[in-house]
Amino acid sequence: MKTFLKNNWLKTIIAGVICLIHIVPFYISITVALKAKTDLSSRWILPKELYLENFIKAIERAEIFSAMKNSLIITITAVLIITILGAMAAYPLARNRSGLNKTMLNVILAVMMIPPLSILVPLLTFVTRIGGVSTFWGIILVVATYQLPLSIFLYTNFIRTIPMDLDNAASIDGCSSFSIYYKIILPLLKPVTATVIILVGVNIWNDYQFSLYLLQDPDMKVVTLAVANFFAQSSSNFGAASATALMAICPITVMYLFLQQYFVKGMVDSAIK
Amino acid sequence: MKGFIKKIVTCCLISILATGIIGCSSDTADTTQNQGEKESPQTKEKDSSKDSKKDKKVSIDVAVNFGIDDQITIGLEEVAKGFEEETDIEANIISLPDYEPVMKAKMAANELPDMWSTHGWSVLRYSEYLTPLEDQEWAKVLHPAIEPVITDEAGHIYVLPIDVDVAGIAYNKDVVEQAGIDVDSITTWDDFQKACASIKENTDAAPISLGGKDNWTVGNFLDWVGPAVMLTTTQDYDQQLLDGNFNSEGWNEVNALFENMYDAGYFNADALTGTYSDVARMLGTGETAFGLYGNYIISEALSYNPDANLGFMPVPAYYSEDTPFLISGERTTLGIWKDTENKEACLEFLSYIARPEVMSKLATISGVPAGLTTAESDTGILKEDYAKHQEVPSVPYFDRVYLPSGMWDTMCATGSALIADEMTIEEATAKMKEDFDKLYN
Amino acid sequence: MSESRKTNIINEKNMINIMYLPALILFCIFVFYPFVSGIRISFTNWNGFSQNFEYIGWLNYKNLLHDEILQLALKNTLIYGIGSTILQQMLGLFYAVFLDKKFIGSKTTRTVVYLPVLIAAVIMGYMWYFIFQYNSGALNDVLRVLGLESVDWLAKGNQAVWIITLVNTIQYTGVSMVIYLAGLQNIPKMYYEAAQIDGAGPISQFFKITLPLLYPAIVTSVTLNLIGGLKLFDVIKALTNGGPGYSSHSISTLVDHTYFKTQAAGYSSAMGVILFLIIMGVALLTIKIFDKNEVDM
Repeated sequence: MKTFLKNNWLKTIIAGVICLIHIVPFYISITVALKAKTDLSSRWILPKELYLENFIKAIERAEIFSAMKNSLIITITAVLIITILGAMAAYPLARNRSGLNKTMLNVILAVMMIPPLSILVPLLTFVTRIGGVSTFWGIILVVATYQLPLSIFLYTNFIRTIPMDLDNAASIDGCSSFSIYYKIILPLLKPVTATVIILVGVNIWNDYQFSLYLLQDPDMKVVTLAVANFFAQSSSNFGAASATALMAICPITVMYLFLQQYFVKGMVDSAIK
Repeated sequence: MKGFIKKIVTCCLISILATGIIGCSSDTADTTQNQGEKESPQTKEKDSSKDSKKDKKVSIDVAVNFGIDDQITIGLEEVAKGFEEETDIEANIISLPDYEPVMKAKMAANELPDMWSTHGWSVLRYSEYLTPLEDQEWAKVLHPAIEPVITDEAGHIYVLPIDVDVAGIAYNKDVVEQAGIDVDSITTWDDFQKACASIKENTDAAPISLGGKDNWTVGNFLDWVGPAVMLTTTQDYDQQLLDGNFNSEGWNEVNALFENMYDAGYFNADALTGTYSDVARMLGTGETAFGLYGNYIISEALSYNPDANLGFMPVPAYYSEDTPFLISGERTTLGIWKDTENKEACLEFLSYIARPEVMSKLATISGVPAGLTTAESDTGILKEDYAKHQEVPSVPYFDRVYLPSGMWDTMCATGSALIADEMTIEEATAKMKEDFDKLYN
Repeated sequence: MSESRKTNIINEKNMINIMYLPALILFCIFVFYPFVSGIRISFTNWNGFSQNFEYIGWLNYKNLLHDEILQLALKNTLIYGIGSTILQQMLGLFYAVFLDKKFIGSKTTRTVVYLPVLIAAVIMGYMWYFIFQYNSGALNDVLRVLGLESVDWLAKGNQAVWIITLVNTIQYTGVSMVIYLAGLQNIPKMYYEAAQIDGAGPISQFFKITLPLLYPAIVTSVTLNLIGGLKLFDVIKALTNGGPGYSSHSISTLVDHTYFKTQAAGYSSAMGVILFLIIMGVALLTIKIFDKNEVDM
C-alpha cells in the first residue's frame, strides 16, 4: 500500500512536468499579451499592472469577434459537409473491396499528400473564375474538400470494424445496400463522428493559407487572418497578435472539452483496427 | 453539458441520415452539383444587390501592406472617412497579411482590388496591372526625389506617392555621442568601420543591427553597400548591370565588406535570428548604434521608447573619390487597377489624398517628406537632419533599378548565408550571378 | 445461393459506389484540376503573376537535378518528416502508457498534452519563437539566471532544423498519444493477467503484448505524422523563415520562397511536383512495409 501511494505521487509529479513542458508556450504568450510594447521585462514575469490594451486592439482593430463568427460559420458548415460526404463515401469503400475501390482509397490518400502550395495559384484562379472569392460557399467547399480524405479515412476504417454479418443478415432479409447503410451502419457511426468533428474541425478553424488567398473582403476575415493582421513587414505587434491568438483558441478549446470523452472512444474504433 | 454534445453529434447524424436517403436514389452525384448551382445564384443575387447599391453608393477596396494597427493604416482610414463624408464614396482600407504573395496570386488570377499600395514596385512588378496616371493634376508637382523612381521608360506614372522613403543610416544619437563619434566626419566605409570599432570598444551597444529571421534586413545591408561599390565614378559596373552583365568582382567586394564587418563583431549577437522589430527596439533603447533602413524605422523605434534620441546620416561612399549619398524610393504609394469598374471614384480618391492638407497629415504620420511639392510634412525629430542633408545626392534603391525583379530575395538569402558561414564570398556571389542571369530578360 | 442472386449482389455492390461520387466530384474540381494546372505551370518560365509566359519543356526539371539548395531542403524535409515521426511515436507511446492508468492528474495531463494540437501551427511556432529568441527569449532568460551565457539557438542551420523538428513533435504528440490511448484500451486485460501468471515483468509485457497489439495504432499514427511532417511549413516560417541563408528550408518552404519571392513560379511548380512524388513515395513505402503484416491502408 505504501509503495502504491508513493508510486502514484511520483506519477503525479512526472505528469506535472509533462504538463509544464506543454503549457510553457501558452504561459509565455499570455505574459506577452499582457504587456505593452514598451515593457521590456522578461517574458517569464507577469506585468505588475493589468494591461489590457492588446486585448482591446484584438477586439477593435482585428475585430476578433466578427472573425470568430465567420470562422464558426465556415467550420460548422464545412464539418457538416465533411461528415455527410465522408460517411457516405466510406461505406462502399469499406464494404466493396474491388480493385477499383482500392485505387480510390489510394487516390484519397494521395490527396492528403498534395502540398497545398503547389495548387494554390491555379486554385485561386479557378475559384476567382467561378465567382467564389470572398464568399462563404467558396471557402467552405475548398476547405471541406481538402479535409474530406481524413474523414473518409477514419470512417472507412470504422465501418470495416462493423461485422459483415450484420450486413449479410439484413441482405437476406431483402434490404438493399442503401437501406443497409441507412438502417444499420449510420446509427453506429456516432463515436467516430465525434473524432472526425474534432480532428477536422480543428484543421478548418486553424486554416490560414486557403483563407488568406480566398477571403479578400475584411468583413469575411477569419481568426487566423485576424492574428496575422498584426504582422507586417515594417512593424509587428507581438502583444496584440498574442492577445488575438489567445482569444481565437477559446472556442475550439471549449469544443474539444465538450467532445473529449467521445473522442478517444471514436479513435478506438476508427484509427486502430 | 452532455445534452449539448448529444445535440451536436445527433445533428451531424441526422444530416448524414438525410443525405443517406437521397443517396439511395441514383442522382447522388447531382446533389453536390445542385448545391453548387444553388449557391451561385445566391451570390449572383448578392452581386446584383451590390450593383443596385452601386447606384446609391460606390465602394472601392484599397489594399495596403501595413499592419492593421500601424499608425499609417489608421491615418488612411481617417482620410477615407473624410472622403466619404465629402463625396459619398466609400473607400475600404484593407490591411492584407502576407501582402506580397497574396498580391502576386491576385495578379495571376487577374482579379485585383480597386486600388493597392505598391511598396516600391509600381513600375517593375505592378505596372502591367495599373492605370497610368501621368495626366493627373497632381502628377505635375511630384517631389523631385520620387519622380524618377516611379516613372517607367515610356514616361508613365502609375501611382500617387503619398510620401518619399528617404533612407540613410539611422542612428541613436546618445550611443554615438557616448562613443565620441562625429557622424559628419564619416564619409567612407573605412570611416564607418572605424566608428563601429569605437562603438564596440566604448559602449555596450552593438554597432549595427540586423534581424536575420526577417532576412530582408540582411538584404537591406547589401542594398546600402551595393550602390556605394557598384555605382561609382571609377568603374562602369552600373552600366554593365543595366546591360545584363553581373560583375562578380564588384559583388565580391560588397560581400567581402559585409563579411569583414560581421567577423569583426560589429553586428548584434542575434543578427541571424532576430526580427526587424528587435532591431527597431534596440535602436530605440540604445542597444544598437546604427540601422541601415529607411527612416520608417524611426517611428517604429519610438514605439518602443518614445524618448529615444534618433537621427539619420547619409550612406558613406566606398571609394574615397565618391561622395556619401541618400537612398530614395517609394514608401506609401497608391495605384489603381487598370480593369476596375470604379476608376472615376478611385481617381477622385487619389485627388483627395493629393490635397496638401490631407497629404501633409499622412506624410507626417510616417515622419518622412511628402510625395508632392505642394504638401509640407512635419518630420518630427528628424527635421534637423532633413535640413542638414538637403543637398546630399540621392540614388534609387539599388535592387529595384540595377537588379532584375525577383533578385531581391536572392540577395537577402545569400547575404544571410554568407554571415552564417553557409556560403563563402565566392559562392554567394555565384548564386547572385546565377539568379541574375536567370531573371534578366 | 443461386447464380443470379450472386450477380445481383455484385451489381448492387458496384452500384453503391455512387455513394463516393460526390466526394470524387469535389476532388476533381478543387484538387485534381488545380493540381494538373500546377503541373502545367512546371513546364513554363512563368514568373507567378504576369499574364505572359512561355513553355520551356523539361528545362525546369533538368535544372532541379543540380540544385544544391533543393538537395539541402530535401535532406531537411526528410529530417522534419521522419525525425518528428519517430520522436512523436516514442513520446506519444510513452505518454499513452503512462497516462493510461488512472492517478491524480492523469486526465488533466491528457488534456494539456492535446491542447497544442488545437492551435494553428503558425501561432504555435511564434509562441516557441518567443522562447528560443536570443534577446528576451524565455530560454535565454533562464540561462542567464543560472549564470550561463545566452545561446543564439536558431543561428546554426543544423541546430535550427532539429529545434524545428522538436517543436513540431511537441505540438503534435497529442495526436499520437490519443491514438495510442485508444489502442491500449483495445487490448484485453486478460492478456496481461495471463502474462503475469507466466511471470513476465512489465518490460517484457510491454514488448510481448502491448507493442504487437498496438500495431494497427502505430500504422495510423505513423501515416498521419509522416504526411504532416513531410509537408511541414508553418513552424519553419515562424521560427527561422528558412534561414540562416537557406539552411532550414523544407521543400514546402522552398517552393513558397521560389514561387513568391524569387518569382520562378514554373521552377517552383516543378519542385512542388517533386515534393508530391517524394511524400507519396515515402508514404507508400511505409504502407507497403506495414502491409506485409496484413493491415489495410
